[in-house]
Amino acid sequence: MFNETPLLQPIKPREHYHVVDEGQIETLANGTLEILAETGVHCPSEKCLNIYAEHGAEVDFESQIVRLKPDLVTASLSTAPRYYDMGARSPAHDIHLDGTGLYCATDGSGVETRDFTTRERRPSRKDDVAKMARIVDYLSSIGFYWPIVSAQDHPATAPLHELEACFSNTVKHIQSETVTGEELGKYAIEMARVIAGDDGTMRKRPPLSLLVCCIAPLGQDKEGMESALQFAEAGLPVGFMSMANVGSTGPATLAGTVVAADAEIVSAMVLLQMAYPGTPMYHSFMPGVMHRHTGGFLGTAMEGTLLYPIGVEMAHHWGVPSLAGVFGTDGKVPGWQTASEATTSFLLCALAGAETGSGLGLVESCTLLYPEEIVLDSDIYHRVRMELAGLDTSRKELALDVIKQVGPRGLFLKHRHTRENLKRRKYSELTEQVDPSGKIRDPVEVAREKVDWILSNHHPQPLDAAQQAELTRILASADREIGGSQ
Amino acid sequence: MNDKYPPLEPLRPEYRIKYLTKEQLDQLQEATLDILESVGVKFPSERALKILAAHGAQVDQDTQIVKFPRDLVFKAMKTVPRYFVMGARAPEYDLQLQNGTTYFTTDGCGVQVCELDTGTIRPSTKADVGMMAKVADYLPSIGFIWPMVSAQDHGRTSILHELDAIWNNSVKHVQSETIMGKRECEYALEMATVIAGSKEELRKRPQLSLVVCTISPLIQDESGIEGAMVMAKAGIPVVFLSMPCLGTTAPATQAGALAMGDAEIISATVLMQLVAPGAPVGHSMMQAWADPRTGAYISYPRDARGRYGVVEMAHHWGMPSLGACYGTDSVETATWQSAAEPALDPLLAGLVSPEIVTGMGLARTYTRLYPEQIILDNDLYQRARAYLSRMEVSDETLAMEAISKVGPGGHFLAQKHTRTHIRTSLVRGVTHELDDNSKYRDPHEVAREQVKHIIENHKPEPLETAQQTEIDRILAAAEKELG
Repeated sequence: MFNETPLLQPIKPREHYHVVDEGQIETLANGTLEILAETGVHCPSEKCLNIYAEHGAEVDFESQIVRLKPDLVTASLSTAPRYYDMGARSPAHDIHLDGTGLYCATDGSGVETRDFTTRERRPSRKDDVAKMARIVDYLSSIGFYWPIVSAQDHPATAPLHELEACFSNTVKHIQSETVTGEELGKYAIEMARVIAGDDGTMRKRPPLSLLVCCIAPLGQDKEGMESALQFAEAGLPVGFMSMANVGSTGPATLAGTVVAADAEIVSAMVLLQMAYPGTPMYHSFMPGVMHRHTGGFLGTAMEGTLLYPIGVEMAHHWGVPSLAGVFGTDGKVPGWQTASEATTSFLLCALAGAETGSGLGLVESCTLLYPEEIVLDSDIYHRVRMELAGLDTSRKELALDVIKQVGPRGLFLKHRHTRENLKRRKYSELTEQVDPSGKIRDPVEVAREKVDWILSNHHPQPLDAAQQAELTRILASADREIGGSQ
Repeated sequence: MNDKYPPLEPLRPEYRIKYLTKEQLDQLQEATLDILESVGVKFPSERALKILAAHGAQVDQDTQIVKFPRDLVFKAMKTVPRYFVMGARAPEYDLQLQNGTTYFTTDGCGVQVCELDTGTIRPSTKADVGMMAKVADYLPSIGFIWPMVSAQDHGRTSILHELDAIWNNSVKHVQSETIMGKRECEYALEMATVIAGSKEELRKRPQLSLVVCTISPLIQDESGIEGAMVMAKAGIPVVFLSMPCLGTTAPATQAGALAMGDAEIISATVLMQLVAPGAPVGHSMMQAWADPRTGAYISYPRDARGRYGVVEMAHHWGMPSLGACYGTDSVETATWQSAAEPALDPLLAGLVSPEIVTGMGLARTYTRLYPEQIILDNDLYQRARAYLSRMEVSDETLAMEAISKVGPGGHFLAQKHTRTHIRTSLVRGVTHELDDNSKYRDPHEVAREQVKHIIENHKPEPLETAQQTEIDRILAAAEKELG
């Protein structure tokens, strides 16, 4: 016996809006093209450099700098699909990107966990990924799963153990941000094939996608780019993320950081389309602002957060879906700061039409897992979802007949319309919860309890025994080849 | 502007959104007209009934229910000014309401205060009103001031003492949400005239405005509406505020609650225009929800999507809107809930541009003052303001030269461009203040420290001695008459 996974509830804004005017987007995009043509990007992979060169890029093999003419960029990106499907283990949870909805993932990959039982702070491990996968499976706010923390109890093959923990504990789509290098990539794709069943299905309904980070300023990661090529060859979606930091790895102005970061992402996307035209890709811009005194990366500095929805606009300019930066907080414990930082950038990214976003559930600048944070973030998620859905002003909702019957000085409480409709109103499951003595409970405590409840009660559909055996076999050979568990 | 009066920082959104379509707005307006025509609104005031009857409304003297033919509504609504001025003691802070600019106020009117030093919770006093007026005077995010708590140490004249406390501690516009009754309004007018210098000046740059609540479903408050008529005749702006509660005093569907609340506001606006054509009137609606399990009044359910559609309804009638932000249901301040609920508000409101908005600084569903909460709410406001601003895209900000100099793999720390811009690139909120060990401090602690600093150091321009004497005299007379 297993529990049904609730259907996804994406954010569907009644309308989309531009947060930057089109003239500004054009200016920013021209800045990107100018940098790619004149300064270029550093790409430390022979394999990638050869592909660039074969397709007409200006490549300096000694300095490993690639320069791309504007026409070459535009022509290469023209084969990228604007939308595609992100498959899931259960078809009902496939994500059909089509421009109408925003689907969110968890955050990832934290390195510490506030323990589920003892509440002590400790290094993260595979079991945390598995437990959180079950919580993710239960929450309708989560469209797809990023391994939320690192499986540090399996050092060399952590990314693969994370995938196994994910696939075994949720039927939703998995996006890995840790698989890097051809060795890991080979095994990860093999695991995705086991989940999909065959190569054709894996291409049509890819159960796994990859996120590769660029290195600011203007650099690509060898291992990351090479696994990106592998994934593209297998037809799995690949995204590129820049985390330029205003003032250190990016210029100290917002516009300057946008173009420098965008150039990194675009250069990588161009490579993938050169090698495998039509590869499903996405664009992800998650910048920070450097703290002047500590040099720290602040994901949620006041002005800097405007960069997130602008990243969404840039993705759309290049004709690919966006993975928007949402929910990350610099706060240390679930509280005022984590909530205040989460909301605004999320709302604007949704209004700008982001297709996907990451992520819910971590604090301390995406490094620390508090199991209850994802439940708190989900509450905010649903608030935003409903704010953006628009109001129903049908005759039935206007309830004119009811108002006429009740009239001045009357009370609606007794009316049948009230009994029927009050039930439909959506109240928070966290706030305004009353304890037996009639006192309002602390929502953070309610969220903690919800985590325990989900872990005790929600058991998603397991993998087939044959699939599970295959994954175990793959992990064993990976552990043998790459290095075993501790 | 000089240093003495740093410029206000209203929201000026670069882009706008629509919560309701034109068809939906027409539908809602039609529903309002239908309710006014066929159900009517109760006006428990002889004075009001007389005026309404004289202008062709259908008045039932027994039930005091007034039905409004739609022609009368349209005729009266024609004279409502789309924008008006809210004057301030310092003319630099006069608010000229206009398209695309949103001014915020403090919240009001709480009844409890949590003391900053001791954490003790006690009933609010006049001194608390003065203290918070000083803080509001200091913050550029605050355009005008509501008495944040009730001056409960002054009995029936508390509402006038609240004005005194604010004018003594701020040069900004004062909007009272507590003054009700004909005589009370006359005294308030007298006080405002002292501040303005003359009745003519007060009419031109009214330093006082009033919020009057309607009673759902479909009733006007007797002393509220009588006071409003006094104010309208003197040219003082009056905002009518409806607070329908879904499921108890309003239908359990949002659209129905909005149409009914709108009918309450519009019926009062019509009366004002009949009493004083051209009187400045504002439109405001704050719907709430009844919790079916406890009967509690909830202002932030998870689905509150009608909240800012009401701004568009006001604009559809050609009236300025008083939008509603903040006022968490959280019992304490600086909690997850006290941010999760209101954090979106200033952004959602800014996107639809109400002319004025209330209000920062209270917890426990507008009833409890934590002095430091205004600093936290201000932080949320400034975040929204940054989001709504235009990002500068120019040769200088694109930094092409710096990017080209640094090239792949370098860093920007040594660039002249970085040195020039790094100071302004990070706009620090309360969340990114450092302690002596370069660790980020608890934002709640930072907020407490900031509000203490303002209370101890900010010195707003005092009233002239002659003005103060006059106001004291008026307060004494009011106490004698009203008790």
